[in-house]
Amino acid sequence: MKTIVKSRLAELLQTMAQDFRVLVPVKSETVSQFVPWQEGLTVNLEGNTVLPPKDIFFPQTEKMYKFKVKGSSVDIEEFAEDVQKQVIFGIRSCDMQSIDCLDKVFLTKGYEDTFYKTKRDKTLLVALACTKPQDTCFCESLGLNPLEASGADIQVYDLGDALGFVAKTPEGEELLAKYASLFTEVNAVPQKVEGFNLKAEVAGIPEKLAKMFDHPIWDEVSQKCLGCGACAYLCPTCHCFDISGNVKADQGYKFRCWDCCMFSEYTRMAGGHNPRPSKKERVRNRFMHKLYYFQERYGQLLCTGCGRCIAKCPVGMDITAIIEKIKEAEV
Amino acid sequence: MSIEAVKADKAASQENWEPKILVFACNWCTYAGADLAGLSRLQYPPNVRILRVPCSGRVNPQFVIRAFQKGIDGVLVAGCHPGDCHYATGNYFTRRRYLVMQRLLEFMGMDPARFQARWISGSEGPKFQQVVTQLTQDIKALGPNRKLRDME
Amino acid sequence: MNQHTVKMRELARELLSSGQVSLVLGWEKGNLWYKSPPVFISRVEDVEKLIFDEFCHNNLAKYLMDLVHHSGKIAVFVKGCDSRAINRLLQDNQIKREKLYIIGVPCPGLKDPDDAVGKKQGAEVKNSAKCATCSYPNPVVYDALLWETVPVNTTKAPVEELIAKLDSMTPDERYAYWTEQFSRCIRCFACRNVCPACNCRECCFDQAEPDWLGKANNLSENQFMQMTRAMHVAGRCIECGECERVCPMNIPLMAINKKVARDIAELFGECAAGLDLEKRPPLGHFDLNDPEKFM
Repeated sequence: MKTIVKSRLAELLQTMAQDFRVLVPVKSETVSQFVPWQEGLTVNLEGNTVLPPKDIFFPQTEKMYKFKVKGSSVDIEEFAEDVQKQVIFGIRSCDMQSIDCLDKVFLTKGYEDTFYKTKRDKTLLVALACTKPQDTCFCESLGLNPLEASGADIQVYDLGDALGFVAKTPEGEELLAKYASLFTEVNAVPQKVEGFNLKAEVAGIPEKLAKMFDHPIWDEVSQKCLGCGACAYLCPTCHCFDISGNVKADQGYKFRCWDCCMFSEYTRMAGGHNPRPSKKERVRNRFMHKLYYFQERYGQLLCTGCGRCIAKCPVGMDITAIIEKIKEAEV
Repeated sequence: MSIEAVKADKAASQENWEPKILVFACNWCTYAGADLAGLSRLQYPPNVRILRVPCSGRVNPQFVIRAFQKGIDGVLVAGCHPGDCHYATGNYFTRRRYLVMQRLLEFMGMDPARFQARWISGSEGPKFQQVVTQLTQDIKALGPNRKLRDME
Repeated sequence: MNQHTVKMRELARELLSSGQVSLVLGWEKGNLWYKSPPVFISRVEDVEKLIFDEFCHNNLAKYLMDLVHHSGKIAVFVKGCDSRAINRLLQDNQIKREKLYIIGVPCPGLKDPDDAVGKKQGAEVKNSAKCATCSYPNPVVYDALLWETVPVNTTKAPVEELIAKLDSMTPDERYAYWTEQFSRCIRCFACRNVCPACNCRECCFDQAEPDWLGKANNLSENQFMQMTRAMHVAGRCIECGECERVCPMNIPLMAINKKVARDIAELFGECAAGLDLEKRPPLGHFDLNDPEKFM
């Protein structure tokens, strides 16, 4: 296995940064997230980031095109986006799975989202194996392997004092070959993953939910929800967006920005009717989408077990507990 | 230097920079006062834009923040003298609200001088002239506002 | 099980089985030892879920607004801060006193769940920042008080130091500080939704027409949102600190709220929100002799 001691990781990233935009997980006093590598940054190899990496491909606010009215016609111009080749280093199995979910939404079923695709196509993913799950992690229950992320170009293993790199795709191999001089070839066995605090049994849940749209369980589950968007905005897979505009006199631009099905105006129609009038319908939609609708459309769950929503929900809503409730519910 | 600061600097360096000042004038007193100033041919700087509101109490704190966002350099809220409110008590609420608001703006790093409130009655044309002239001079001295700006 | 929990369950059981109330709002234990989320209990056998420990952060008064049409009486457990929220909601005519059975739980000060992350149950955990400045740990309104009142702590909290630090900065430094804070905001509205002072039927930020708040996440809109919120809760904030606790981006919102509360006290005299039902919120009334500093 190609290895590098942890103390020399900065050197590797610095070298890579000459050829790529390198994004690394960094923890500051206030928040942890993926940021572009700069000399002097400390990469956080412990635990996952608070903010998921989804905004790298799908920014919270993204300009789409600008327009200018000229007489009876409109000039439309796209924003020229200069997307560099980028490497995301240290992405966890759960977030790798979330990128797979986003790929399905934005790139399959006959429609390719160019805003997403331009950034996604130029990205190499260097996944980092988890050995110590956080209190709120439960990816294993969803069939993910915390040590081995599917879809990664390179898988990195924590070997204690060093990191071991294994290429998983030709692009990954190319990348490792490019910086081969920085690595030492060592026979190493990756560490094992420690036990998970949270578990969820999802077998049969989508099938069961198919019959639970009108089930009284939603009254109970939604009761304590406050209807904020912390869960959706921190979720690595939530991908709803709204399109809005900024118009000044005869010109302006359109942009898209994250939206959240927990907000009252999310489903409010022109004229004021709201088909999801209360938090019961909204909470139901959230969990139905995660655990049933997405499975039905794309064949996988829209939850990756990262546990961010459990960690940050103001009222301690816990998706594993909700899955348990669904499992126990009488249909 | 941020893009914001660069743009503002550029604006400041332009010799012909003139501050934009928004006056929320109550319909019953200050608006009439401004009208009187005009009728009396009193000269005052053309930097002020007057926005008529039913009462100084109608001025929502959001109006003030929005004004700064959208390019205003100074805001004046003006209404009837205490005791003279057409709606009896509107201006007393204004007084409390904007004492708090001015301190909040200061805490957020704004210069509190950019946000003022005055009582100007319908017969005080000269006072209107004097207040907006003074305010314009003060804001000119402060230079263009760079804070809270919407640069999109 | 601690004595507090035993007392809670006893009273809740009595109230439910005698039919005095049809719903009890309390706290329970979930999958994480450092979280005590809200629980809604309507059956006597569920009373065993109730607990009280150092992580009962949620202000249950907020849920009373969801339950205005609930038939029957509701029992609600309130800490000192929560009880002030009850008074505020009563003042705003959001809830009816006769529909409530308020159970006061004097609060010893809570622990910081963020500090407990990754630790084993029972480990040493920091005190919650929001409880450090608490001047009202004992409920100010209740039908029953579950245990003895606790002494008020008077230590200087980090938020006071932050305000002092900001006050000593130049305006530009202060602006730079808040710029950095607000640029992190992801606009999840957790601060608003957890806040008992935010009890509008429809929040201006949710309105599409007029479009008060643009949907784009940028510094200017974030400043607009947070300053508007500061003005809207001015004089109505009960300083429970929930907004700051729930902010996933750790924006020091209580520094703003505390500062505004202090300004109001300086300008119009002591008028801490939610202490006295008869005393109207400071921006909801006036005095003929109010200061006229900049008029």
